[in-house]
Amino acid sequence: MSERVKLNTTPSKIDAVGDAWVLNFPRFGAEGTHFHTYGLLTPYFKGLAEGRLMATRCTHPKCPVYHGKGELWLPPRADCPDCHQPMEWTEVKQPEGYIYTFTYVERGGTGLEIETPYYQIDVKLPGVATIVKSYLADRRPIKIGDRVRARFRTGAEATHTCLDLYFELI
Amino acid sequence: MIEFGPGNLRVPKWSRPVYMVAFGTTDYRKRYPEKKLDELAMMAFRMMLEENDLKLDPLAVKGLINFCAYGEFADHFQDQLLCEAKVHDYLGLNLLPNVGVKTGGATGGYTMLVGANTVASGYSDCTLVLGWERMDEVKTWTGNYYIASAACKDFETRLARNYASYYAPMARRFQEMYGVSEEVRAEIAVKNRGYARMSPFSQQPGKHTVKEVLEGEIVSDPLRFLECCAMSVGSAAALLCSEELAYRLTDHPAKLYIAGGTDTLRTGDRRPMRIPLLPHETEKDYEWLYAEMQKQDGRWPGFESFGATRFAAYMAHRMAGVQVPLEDLDLVETHDAFTISDLQTYGDVGLTLYGREQDFITSGECYLKNPKTGKQGKCPANLSGGLLGTMHAVGATGIFQCGEVLWQLQGKYDKFHGDPKMWQRFGKQKPSDWESLQVRNPRRGLAISHAGVGSHVTCAILEKAWGGGAR
Repeated sequence: MSERVKLNTTPSKIDAVGDAWVLNFPRFGAEGTHFHTYGLLTPYFKGLAEGRLMATRCTHPKCPVYHGKGELWLPPRADCPDCHQPMEWTEVKQPEGYIYTFTYVERGGTGLEIETPYYQIDVKLPGVATIVKSYLADRRPIKIGDRVRARFRTGAEATHTCLDLYFELI
Repeated sequence: MIEFGPGNLRVPKWSRPVYMVAFGTTDYRKRYPEKKLDELAMMAFRMMLEENDLKLDPLAVKGLINFCAYGEFADHFQDQLLCEAKVHDYLGLNLLPNVGVKTGGATGGYTMLVGANTVASGYSDCTLVLGWERMDEVKTWTGNYYIASAACKDFETRLARNYASYYAPMARRFQEMYGVSEEVRAEIAVKNRGYARMSPFSQQPGKHTVKEVLEGEIVSDPLRFLECCAMSVGSAAALLCSEELAYRLTDHPAKLYIAGGTDTLRTGDRRPMRIPLLPHETEKDYEWLYAEMQKQDGRWPGFESFGATRFAAYMAHRMAGVQVPLEDLDLVETHDAFTISDLQTYGDVGLTLYGREQDFITSGECYLKNPKTGKQGKCPANLSGGLLGTMHAVGATGIFQCGEVLWQLQGKYDKFHGDPKMWQRFGKQKPSDWESLQVRNPRRGLAISHAGVGSHVTCAILEKAWGGGAR
């Protein structure tokens, strides 16, 4: 068992339709492919493949919750659920946070692309309203509160899925 | 939404009361090759019509039905779209209207809610609520992937493809935040699987110990194998009626109240909220909890609690006039798909304050016979054996829970669980150490139906409606 968690997957094919990425997800061979669009969240997945963590926030002054000073959403949303107006994209620079909670996954369901065992972690990042679910590259014992930094699978390594974001212990 | 508008907290007000008069069920098995799905539905339907001491002949009762609500969790498990049409046809109910309901693990509960609304509105005087699930067409770990399709496909499913791995982080956060020993969770598994030993319907009864649970195989740390429910096959059916019809059919109907709630599909998207208070709670009760959350970077409902369950209980308690849950409820059925979801729910429904959930276990009040006092527990939980011990054929589950509560209120636990012939019907032998789990003179019981990591929940309250039981 290596110290670092690996993926057992091949990068998914992406179709660019206008600004949107459409993920090709073969279920029953080529003819049985599902074409799943990332829609307005495409900048997030493009960002991961380029090594950048992109989040959204509401800047609408009439938002009843954030009054124009929204916290970040990760996963991002294109529209604010509180005022229904489009949110703005922001890059989270050098994303670091701490482990809010976690589990050690011994075995996953059919098709799991992450090599078990691994830590699935929920990460609290400063300025982010939500708590991000991801996985940890390290296998050594961890506890709630341990600090982590975001890492990315980029370029030829990119899977074009949420697996392109992972964390490592600081 | 994290702040309610003035209209959002309106308590449901039905046009007329709704009664539950009969219940039927199959037994539950991990694999059930002996019967097709519609044949299982017929078993439940027939038991409902034929074995509930109704005052009319089964076919005469069938002749009163106006509407059918069907619960099925997942088309991909059944590998059949419009399964509702097949079942409806098989039960001989065409040309009556039916509707399929799908809200994940809470499908059974929401099917009860939809069925109740047809009676409450006057659309129907007599509604069949029937649910099923057939999870044995695929191997267990493919089944786990199918279930994990009920996590967010963009951001979560790929991170485990197994639902236990979405509950395990909740278990860890809960135990650290509230200082809960793992033995508390293990005790829940021992209790519910032990109660399942008294049920001829149960799928995985067992005499276990806390030590055995904790030393067992880990599914997703900290959750052990015996803390998780299993794939399940079976069907359950309930009959809901108007008041006039209920008393024509039985002298022992139960009044039904049921309400729903929701929360985000992804646990991490639950932004901090103020706790909507139940009738017996005050803001002062939670000053310490808010202070504690500040220290621990916590939030409500966060990873510890279920906002959907609290919202449903907020409504259902007010509909039913429940003031102090531990005093006013005589039994509960929680959605113990995992030990942790059972434990978390006690705070949501007000059996304890939030943060004190473990007291419900350690006080012994969750047992039929409180091991601390030797007396009947104040609010025995999951006497049916729950999801851990008896069944989680998902579309049937919320209906099954209400059915077990109905039979308890009617004093029929022994009739359906203690008759050796019922055990023989399912190819089983009644255990020599069988004990009755009938609650003494129960008046009200509650059942929680629960989906995802708390995305959809219903809270049903059934109340004895005869012999001075009616309000």
